[in-house]
Amino acid sequence: MSAAEEPIGLPNYLAGHLGVEREPGPDGEVRLLVAPLGFLRTSRMLRDAGARFVTLLVADSPEPSLIGAFALCGDLVVLRAPIENGSISFGSLGAWWSAARWAERELVERHGVRALGMPSGRALTTPDPDVLDPQVHGLDIFSLPYGPVRSGIFESIQFVIETGGENIARLQTRPFFKHRGMEARVVGMRPQQAVHVVERIAGIASVAYACAFSQAVERALAVEVPPRAECWRAIHAELERIASHLDVIAKEAETTALSVGQARFQILKEQTMRLRARLTGSRFGRGVVIPGGVRFDGGIETGELIAELAALERDLRRDRRMFLGTASMVDRLFGGGELKRALVEEYGAVGPLARGSGVSTDTRHERPYGDYRRLGLRVVTMRDGDAMARINVRFGELSESLRILRQSLDHLARLDGKLSVRIAGRSSGAAFGWSEAPQGELAIWVEIRDEVIHRLHVADPSLRNWALFDHAFPKDVLTDFAFIEHSFGLTPAGADR
Amino acid sequence: MLEWIARGLSKGRITTRYPGRPEQGPPGYRGAVTVRGTPSAPSALATVCPTGAISVDGGHVRLDRGRCILCGDCVRAAPDWFEFSERYETASRSRTGLLVDPLNGDEKVEPARRVLGEQARALKRSIHVRHIDCGSDGAEEWEIQALWNPFYDIQRLGFFLTAAPRHADVLLVTGGVTAPMRAPLERTWDVMPEPKALVAIGTDACSGGLAASGGLVAGGVGEVLDVDVYVPGSPPAPIAIMHGLLLAVGLLRDGPSA
Repeated sequence: MSAAEEPIGLPNYLAGHLGVEREPGPDGEVRLLVAPLGFLRTSRMLRDAGARFVTLLVADSPEPSLIGAFALCGDLVVLRAPIENGSISFGSLGAWWSAARWAERELVERHGVRALGMPSGRALTTPDPDVLDPQVHGLDIFSLPYGPVRSGIFESIQFVIETGGENIARLQTRPFFKHRGMEARVVGMRPQQAVHVVERIAGIASVAYACAFSQAVERALAVEVPPRAECWRAIHAELERIASHLDVIAKEAETTALSVGQARFQILKEQTMRLRARLTGSRFGRGVVIPGGVRFDGGIETGELIAELAALERDLRRDRRMFLGTASMVDRLFGGGELKRALVEEYGAVGPLARGSGVSTDTRHERPYGDYRRLGLRVVTMRDGDAMARINVRFGELSESLRILRQSLDHLARLDGKLSVRIAGRSSGAAFGWSEAPQGELAIWVEIRDEVIHRLHVADPSLRNWALFDHAFPKDVLTDFAFIEHSFGLTPAGADR
Repeated sequence: MLEWIARGLSKGRITTRYPGRPEQGPPGYRGAVTVRGTPSAPSALATVCPTGAISVDGGHVRLDRGRCILCGDCVRAAPDWFEFSERYETASRSRTGLLVDPLNGDEKVEPARRVLGEQARALKRSIHVRHIDCGSDGAEEWEIQALWNPFYDIQRLGFFLTAAPRHADVLLVTGGVTAPMRAPLERTWDVMPEPKALVAIGTDACSGGLAASGGLVAGGVGEVLDVDVYVPGSPPAPIAIMHGLLLAVGLLRDGPSA
């Protein structure tokens, strides 16, 4: 299509009117260059146009720049403002856009960037479990620190709850107890080795991470992945989603002490994990997805895998009917942790959480990648915005994932050819890659110089969704806490990196 | 509710017989890397490993399972020296027990702290377990949680989960210990009553794993507290963790069962 025929979308409109320059970029990325002073103004225009905030980072390619990423109309708008004289300061986005608040604070605290007019508040990335910072005053109001060491087998994160005993007056979510510096760890590594690190940023979303990272590398270096590899990636990713969603549902059943229900969903999850172990040699699907394709074919015959999945689906259908028919179970979920659609949009939340509040956002559908360009997807949404809606979204997605698996396995039988290609051609480049993790949209920015990773930035769904958790208790009491937390289904490892 | 009970019973027994009956992973499962006895390796072999688990000394190869993340780079690059095995039982009561050295026998056992079972014989069938996450990738938590699912049902062996460290006999630690988690870890351990045991779960907890070289994560739990049992793996499978727990309380001895 020539430039003249291209419809005038907002990015082009911006490029025409604001002294914003459009730069070439890989498919799905609309790269815009603005002057440092124009960054704030253009971001605001993007928000007014309905863009969803994704992330904010400092990049080195092609020159030191501040980069903002926004999801808009099926594109990722990548706004870049060059840094002048080595010091970075920009007008705060977090001051008027809740979605940008944590990303901006992280950038300021970690990279010595200045955000003018940034709302003050406690440090985000250096949590102190002993400082409670109470702000609600009243008779019998007390602060209850929950975490970082919590009851049960959970990852470390702290919630400071201010309560009079029943209602939750204020909640502070404090991530970053587990910050391991994984993004810096890959600097200097070759992509094929770096993928081992990336898979271990959020262990329960290893495949999603490996896919997003590999796609970023492939896009940066203009590498085409063989169709069979794309098909396998989708299969591994959907199995990961199934395991993760079943885990969330089993935990909800555990919280109501619905023991048999809990056991049933744990069994289904364990069966999925074992299937993945037989397919890939790893219960978490690690070591399969690599930049350039996948490493090997699955270790199970396609016919057998289809039969196993059909058996799983039969069991799941029965267990789901019983779960949704158990009043003591669903009564706890109905109306719990209600999130209004406007709030979800203001915070740029993603994944089953956003879909439970009626926001139809799914990376597989919004910016289809790999095999999802061919597969088609029914995005499951619910309108109620409560814990029940989030669980129902997951039930719906379980069926949808099983459908995708059937379709992919059928397609796989008709494909032959290579499983991977060498990462050759260009030796340097930079791009975003993305995938829909079980927790929501995951975006990874990769810069490669002379065949080694120069910079990596991860926009993890858990961190973005957790910013919303402080507001998830409009009319809920302390005993609803566990239900609401599980219905979010997030992982601190991914958030803290 | 009756319907649930019928549903639960209708599926029959699915629980593993482990440790009574040995178990290993499905074909192709990457449970552990073993060193093949091939002599004389080039010293460049050590550079294959992203975590520095391999050392070559005068053509003699040694592998530290406490550092191994099971990525398989060595198996692909040097199949003459390394291969995957499907075994689950890789836990050891000492850090040096994780060193795989074909010359000095596969596993070297060093005397460790007296096991919990010996210290308190009466506790053997009622062990209360507490977990603390000090910077894992989240997968270890899934695998520990799995121990209480019907497939593994560790309760049949007398292990119970407790919420309070003051009631705990065994502390499971995941992650290589990030700075903000150091003090909570020490505090948790301090309030646990004697006798007690500490089990490091996963390669990160054993040595810091991939994250250690960044400087934000210590080189494993061993740098902060004395460890009784190391369970390597990234992450270790539920049976591997069960093996480690049984070692910690003296229901199993070092080395594979059966």
